[in-house]
Amino acid sequence: MRHAVVALAVLAVAALGLPAWPGPAGEVVFTSNQLTPVEEQEWARNTLLAGFTRETGIPVRFITEPEGPYVDRLMAEARAGRGSIDVTGTLHGIFPVLVAQGVVRDMLDIQRQLEGRRDRTFYRDLLAVARMEGIQAFVPWMQATYLVAARREALRYFPQGRDPMRMTYDDLLQWGQNIREATGERRLGFPVGPRGLYGRFLHGYAYPSFTGSQVKRFKSPEAVAMWQYLRRLWGVTHPSSFRYEFMHEPLLLGEVWVAWDHTARLLPALRQRPEEFVVLPSPAGPRGRSFLSVVVGLSLTRWAPNAEAGVRLVEYLTRPSTQVLTLQGVGFFPVSPEAARVVPTGGLKVMADGVAAQAGAPDARTALLPVGLGARTGEFVPIYVDTFRLIAIEGRRIEDVLASQARRLEELYRATNAPCPPPDPAERPCRPD
Amino acid sequence: MDEHRPRVLAAATPYLLVLPAAAYLAVFVVYPMAQAIRLGAADPHTGGWTLEHVRRMASDLYFWPAVRYTLWITALAVPLQVVLALSMALLVNTRFPGHTVFLYVCAIPLAVSDLAAGLIWLSLFTERGYLNAALVQWGVLRSPFNFLSHEHPAWLVGAIVTTEVWRATAIVMVVLVAGLQLLPRDYAETAAVFGASWWQTLRHVLLPLLRPSLQTALIIRTVLAFQLFATVVTLSGRLVPVLAGETYFWYTLYRNPHVASAYATLVLLLSALFVWGYLRTLRPEGEGT
Repeated sequence: MRHAVVALAVLAVAALGLPAWPGPAGEVVFTSNQLTPVEEQEWARNTLLAGFTRETGIPVRFITEPEGPYVDRLMAEARAGRGSIDVTGTLHGIFPVLVAQGVVRDMLDIQRQLEGRRDRTFYRDLLAVARMEGIQAFVPWMQATYLVAARREALRYFPQGRDPMRMTYDDLLQWGQNIREATGERRLGFPVGPRGLYGRFLHGYAYPSFTGSQVKRFKSPEAVAMWQYLRRLWGVTHPSSFRYEFMHEPLLLGEVWVAWDHTARLLPALRQRPEEFVVLPSPAGPRGRSFLSVVVGLSLTRWAPNAEAGVRLVEYLTRPSTQVLTLQGVGFFPVSPEAARVVPTGGLKVMADGVAAQAGAPDARTALLPVGLGARTGEFVPIYVDTFRLIAIEGRRIEDVLASQARRLEELYRATNAPCPPPDPAERPCRPD
Repeated sequence: MDEHRPRVLAAATPYLLVLPAAAYLAVFVVYPMAQAIRLGAADPHTGGWTLEHVRRMASDLYFWPAVRYTLWITALAVPLQVVLALSMALLVNTRFPGHTVFLYVCAIPLAVSDLAAGLIWLSLFTERGYLNAALVQWGVLRSPFNFLSHEHPAWLVGAIVTTEVWRATAIVMVVLVAGLQLLPRDYAETAAVFGASWWQTLRHVLLPLLRPSLQTALIIRTVLAFQLFATVVTLSGRLVPVLAGETYFWYTLYRNPHVASAYATLVLLLSALFVWGYLRTLRPEGEGT
């Protein structure tokens, strides 16, 4: 009888859901939706975090998973008011959700404490984007951008008399056409696959470069001209682009010679064969050379059971030498000028030069990921990708598609009362003209 | 002694025996299913019932293509799998020398996950894949052909169906081989005595007797075809959308569990409808009308 009672009690506990057991004493639990590919996870555990444990004696449990389960885990602990997560590191664009649900604490004092150590400062514009709803939502951890990688042999088809380091959208199209005429093949490539980042190209690169806006001028005459251009560009793009998700793969296979993607998704190609590839800035349009700056930040949860060790982990991860280690390990760029001054070598050098050429171009314009869409953040990019599908792949009439997609965009912004993302003026709610 | 006791126990035994299975099903199948249906039909703010998520699902750009492609792929792959599996099962049933080796070799793809199967066939079909390399090497093609191109959706569907047939024909075959081995040899021998040809024996004797196995195989294959996802996404991205894939994308890309649940419920309803159809049309003779 007593056994039955014990068994029932065990079953009841199991049925009610296992409690989140706190880790062993002194352990820091660090979650992220970054560094998810297996090689990056391995690097994070065996190199990055192992260094911290060696130095402090504090073990780190690193949990990295795709955005969906990552946010769910934080939300579940936030709802319970307690849990095991101490530190979390994610994209600037996800923090509004975390701030709105009371997941993260104000990091201002920790950031000041770090800068008080006098070995690091943070780029001011990165700190500015970390301010949300009156708090410092995160301390910058690492950053990335998207740009163009090309095989050296493809450069001989680059339009004559033009400078690849100052490429325009017209140059890019002409380049693709030249390759097609010379070889009969379409060798430009974009990550249009379901988990590819082509949507970022549309809203953060093409739109601001052609229209000077991400949202407000969504269906403007300049946008119509841009979509006509993108349709022609699609005509010289590799016909398998619809399933590309990481452009280093087709680049290394030779299916694609010129590819646009996230730095981390191009880097494996440059690491394997640094002498075969060049990295170029993203193209410039009539309204400048727009590019997205991707900022990844660190924050402590409000319920962090081991906050003191969490602060030490943040200190370690943002240390200039760790930032350089991170650049060498996974190709995310430093967030401190002190770290950026250390020059990398090989494929990283090629990439860093490209990043510098993009950010330092006289016509460069920084666009930021949209914020303030809360739980509906995930719906923003698909509006642009669907628009592309309807116009370029299915060949529908541009004006009709833009009118109906602009209604979706307007509904999204009205429902969330979110401001326009830069370079649009920060009016709220943002509304396509 | 009380002589009722053993009888009560005997009567209760079957229920006691199914209890663990029933409990398992209740916790891991019925409960999540009920929760999914509720998520797909509940208003997140008020908690009341709403058709909003279903409406959003139905008005989505990918919805009708997903329904169409799911049905198309099922309609192409399942009959192909059944015909192929039946031929293979009949061949195995002749017990030719080496038939066990043949059976095991045919069953190898069963051990391959659908994602791995997708990747294997992707490495065959891409521009730099094995198929193109072979065709160019043999002089059939002068330069590689893009089998997986957005310009030929039919080719994409063909690649998906090929992968599915390769991956899942074996499960149908195993079910049918088991069914064939249960049939007494007398029936076929009697048919031969009456002068029935091989084809007549198959059509009028073996196939009707195989009905229960065919029913099982069809139900398994069709239900799994509605859940088809990893091979499709690997080979076609989202150019060939399918219902299970949309469920995944709404959950992970759009972070909308409600619409994702509406999709899941639709897959459930479609599966139930087809199972019901099979149970009715393939009912063994002599049971009901």
